[in-house]
Amino acid sequence: MLLLIAACAVKEPDPYPIEHHAKSFHSMSEVRGNAPPVAERIDFARLRDARSEPHNWLTYYGAYDGQRYSALDQVNRNNVDRLRPEWTFQFGQIGLQAAPATYSFEAAPIVIDGVMFLSGWDGYVWALDAVTGGELWRYKHEIPLDTPLCCGNVNRGVAVAQGKVFLATLSGRLVALDARTGDKVWTKAFADPRAGESATIAPLVVKDMVFVGSSGAEFGIRGHIDAFDVETGERRWRRYTIPAPGEPGFESWPQDGEAWARGGGSTWITPAYDPELDLMYWGTGNPSPDYDGGVRPGDNLYTSSVIAIDPDDGTLRWHYQWTPHDQWDYDGNNENILFERDGRKLLAHFDKNGYLFILDRRDGELVRVGAFTKTTWGDINASGEVTARNEPSPAGTIACPGPAGGKEWNHAAYSPRTGLLYAPVIEGCATFMQKRMEFRESLPYWGGAADVAGHEQRGSVKAFNASTGALVWSWSNEHPMVSSILATGGDLVFAGEPDGDFNAYDAGNGELLWQFNTGSGLHGNPVTYSVNGRQYIAVPSGWGGWIEGYAPEMLGSSRGNALFVFALPNGGEKGVR
Amino acid sequence: MCPPGRVLLAVLLAAMLSVASGGCTYARLARPEVLKQVTPPVARMVNYLPEVDRPNEAMIAKMFALGGLSHAELGDDGVMRDRVRIPSGQFIWTPTIIVMPQPGELELVVTNEDEFSHHAAYFPSNGDRQYLHLPMQSSGRAVLNLDGPGYYWFACPVANHEGRGMLGLIIVEGDVPVTARLDRPTQPQPEGD
Repeated sequence: MLLLIAACAVKEPDPYPIEHHAKSFHSMSEVRGNAPPVAERIDFARLRDARSEPHNWLTYYGAYDGQRYSALDQVNRNNVDRLRPEWTFQFGQIGLQAAPATYSFEAAPIVIDGVMFLSGWDGYVWALDAVTGGELWRYKHEIPLDTPLCCGNVNRGVAVAQGKVFLATLSGRLVALDARTGDKVWTKAFADPRAGESATIAPLVVKDMVFVGSSGAEFGIRGHIDAFDVETGERRWRRYTIPAPGEPGFESWPQDGEAWARGGGSTWITPAYDPELDLMYWGTGNPSPDYDGGVRPGDNLYTSSVIAIDPDDGTLRWHYQWTPHDQWDYDGNNENILFERDGRKLLAHFDKNGYLFILDRRDGELVRVGAFTKTTWGDINASGEVTARNEPSPAGTIACPGPAGGKEWNHAAYSPRTGLLYAPVIEGCATFMQKRMEFRESLPYWGGAADVAGHEQRGSVKAFNASTGALVWSWSNEHPMVSSILATGGDLVFAGEPDGDFNAYDAGNGELLWQFNTGSGLHGNPVTYSVNGRQYIAVPSGWGGWIEGYAPEMLGSSRGNALFVFALPNGGEKGVR
Repeated sequence: MCPPGRVLLAVLLAAMLSVASGGCTYARLARPEVLKQVTPPVARMVNYLPEVDRPNEAMIAKMFALGGLSHAELGDDGVMRDRVRIPSGQFIWTPTIIVMPQPGELELVVTNEDEFSHHAAYFPSNGDRQYLHLPMQSSGRAVLNLDGPGYYWFACPVANHEGRGMLGLIIVEGDVPVTARLDRPTQPQPEGD
């Protein structure tokens, strides 16, 4: 008996000698393995003056001002009809991944001196030759299959500075890579998937810090912003968007209980930054639970707001709440576009709640507010006073816009040449149902549901006079417009449709001048850049994300994962290969 | 030697005791067609499930039933190690599920015992996926880097071996560092936790 037990305890020897060794997947491809050292001279000064080098797209919005505008004008109203694809980069999906049915290609490519830094779904980062599309290096951070997500396996882009590429992984880690090789330099966790958090944000570098925010307001998390040292990865500070008992703003939450601890207010969109005022403008997400306001009576600061944050220590200088006591999932995360009028520093914001706000960005004073699409959830008068009209109920209440808003996260743009703001608009409504539910950490905490599919959804591209708020032109679409907009010095405005059409419009009057079908719906960030005097326009094509929330009639549309890069014929030289 | 009568009495007493202590539910377990299902892998599964990745027990139980679960051993050098076999003609990994007690480096020795096919392993690893080619009746080694917490999949990317059963999981136990966690009171957990 003892011999038997001893025999069972002994491990069997390896029957075959170990002759094979695993290798990286990209070692079996044409990936070169290294890129020119273009990122080494990217520092805060250069990011601050991004507009002085329009041939590059140095940061998420093109510049700190969030305008998504490029002065490049080689491609213009007179020749855009000759624009055609120059190259395509595709990666595809191999095997399983988190959210395999709802991944999407959302990233804004960063382009520096002929090298493109691009992030994808599921932890991918690529360095590509911006002229040929050749893969210079590849990095993949593994994402656990069980990462909690509200929406999809997505990432909106990287930040590049001081020789490093910064990626926020879906699983809530900030990864710093060597921009020449894609090798990992440091990694820091900044979010907790076990608590229902994830991350999809494109980080932002300001001074010697890199900033990230987390996702998870559909899981009752407590939103926060984290700042890390660019060189060492040491965390400098964290600021929560939901005050704890005793902190300023806590009076807007129930004083008893833990509604604040599950308050939401996630921070999943990259902020704009004003270097003169030294303020970052962060949008904050919906309060939790989304549709059951009865759990959290009060305005619920600082959810569905813009908060002006001091980058040095996270101090909140001022706030403006777009939707007090939000009950419709009208996240306030949408971008804040910085511009000036008559010497006044302003901020424009198309909110999910269907209103366009113009604020003074020094102190948050309201300059103007007006609806940009049909709104029946409530009214905001010219003084900014909010009156809720149609709140969620157990039987269901119809309100407009739907939970994806009058504009989803995908960004608007501003052209200093036309003085117009261009917004991708969703025109639709939803039936909002409220249901009391128990809170369990990491489980969905919507507090009800919104039925969007039962309502007709349409879309448009709308141009507004930034000075007066007046609608100047509108281009109508049978489906919501859910890609970011790019405005250029060639007086063009680019936007993409859910059916894959990538469109160029006359920035002055909205006439459709050019269109190319990319094969899969557009829900990402087009950018433009030039190399050796030739202008390119790049757009990620790949439908996915929270389709059921913003365009449910297109839930079955083809998926994809290709970056299309367009240029005019007859030009350019070979790339950095 | 006990007389037959005393044996019968002992059996009756045992049966009464089991019914009394556990009720009919437990007494019904003592049937041959049930007892023969309690193989060592199933017994290990029942013992280990409370410890592994709590929110995903149901899925992991199903996969465990295919090929079993193994805990990687943490060495003095900080590297975790385990072995995986591909038995002949079954399109399965054994174990199907590997548990890492903490984030970090995992060294796997994989043996393809299959007389019917070559295979390969497509493993998750921070940096890039790792590909290990495995001809018939050969062994290979892979070193992976994973941070978790949560579970990752691996598979054989040859033809449709994955669809026929060669799908596996690597579970990384633990939590994110304290600094990444939310500053709030401890919250109610999903039921069963």
